[in-house]
Amino acid sequence: MSKSILALCRRPPYGDALAREGLEAVLAAAAMEQAPVLLFMHDGVFQLLKDQNAKSIEQKSVRRNLEALSIFGIDKLYVCQHSLEKRNLNCGQLRLPGIAIELIADPGRFIAAFDSVLSF
Amino acid sequence: MSAKPRGQLVQVMQKLQLQNRQIPVDKEGFLCHLDDWSPQVAQQLASAEGIELTAAHWQIITMLRDFYCQFELSPAMRPLVKYISSQLGPEKGRSIYLLQLFPPSPARIASKIAGLPKPTNCL
Amino acid sequence: MTLHIVSKSPGYSNALMDCADSFVEGDILLLIEDGVYALSSLPENIPVQAVHYLKADVNARGIVVTMEYQGIDDTRWVELCCQQNPVVSWFK
Repeated sequence: MSKSILALCRRPPYGDALAREGLEAVLAAAAMEQAPVLLFMHDGVFQLLKDQNAKSIEQKSVRRNLEALSIFGIDKLYVCQHSLEKRNLNCGQLRLPGIAIELIADPGRFIAAFDSVLSF
Repeated sequence: MSAKPRGQLVQVMQKLQLQNRQIPVDKEGFLCHLDDWSPQVAQQLASAEGIELTAAHWQIITMLRDFYCQFELSPAMRPLVKYISSQLGPEKGRSIYLLQLFPPSPARIASKIAGLPKPTNCL
Repeated sequence: MTLHIVSKSPGYSNALMDCADSFVEGDILLLIEDGVYALSSLPENIPVQAVHYLKADVNARGIVVTMEYQGIDDTRWVELCCQQNPVVSWFK
C-alpha cells in the first residue's frame, strides 16, 4: 500500500512562486502516477477562480494548468468550505471542466487521514 | 518555467539557421522564444533530430500546440498519451506509436519540434 | 494525530490562525522561529497542553513564557515528527 499524500494549497496564484511550484510538484508526481490529493484552503481557493487573464501581468495562468489535471489523472479536487464562504465565493465561480469539486467542512479531520502533507 | 522569454536568463547556446534569419535555441535545442516557431522552423528542428516530418508527425505536432494553447504547459509522456488517445483514438494514443514518430523520447522531442518548452518534469 | 508547525509571528502572517482552523483535539502545535512570538496570544481552541515551542528560538528572542507550554529541543522535535502523523507545515 503506497503512502497517501495530500497537497495543501494555501497561497493565491500570483503573489509569490509557491502556488506555481506546488502545482508543478503535483503535475510531476501525477505524471509518474503518484498523484496526490489536492485540498485548496485559505487564499489557495483563489487559484481556482475562473477567467484569470495572467497574460496581463506577464505570467502563465495557474487556472489553465489546473484545467489540465484531469489529463494527469486527477478528476476531483477538495476545497475548504469555510475558506470559500469567508471570501464570499461559491463553487460556481471555481468549476473546472471534467473535474469534480468536493467541499470540506472539517479540514482538520480531512488532513489527519493522510500519511504525508505537502504545504504549498 | 515562464513561457515569456526572459532575455538575460535564456542561455543562447546555438542558433538555428533559416534562409534569411537565425533563430536562437537553448543548449538542448528548444526554442528560446516560443513566438519564433513556424512550420519551417519545425522542419529544421526535426531534421536536427534526424526526423523527416510526415502527415502523421504534423497531426501530433498540431495536437501538442493545441494542448499548450489550452493548458499553457507541455505534457509529459503519460498525459500526452492520454490526451492523444482522447483526441485521435486509442490506435494513436499509444506510447509505441509516438515512440516510432519521435524517438527516443516522444514527449520531449515532439515538444521541441512543436516549438514548446521542455515538458514539466520530463526526465 | 497531526503535528502542526508554525514559523511566522501572528503579526506578520495568518499562518497560526489558518492552522487553528484545522486543529483537531489530540493534535500538537509546535512554534518555531518567529512563530514563538505567538506564545502570548494563542487561539482559544488550542489547548495549553498541546502547545510546544523550540526553547532555542524563545531564548534567542528574549521571550518570557508564562504559561505551562512545553519547551523542547531539536531532539524532541524529531521525536514529535516520528510520533505524530501527518506533519503539516504552516510556513506562510
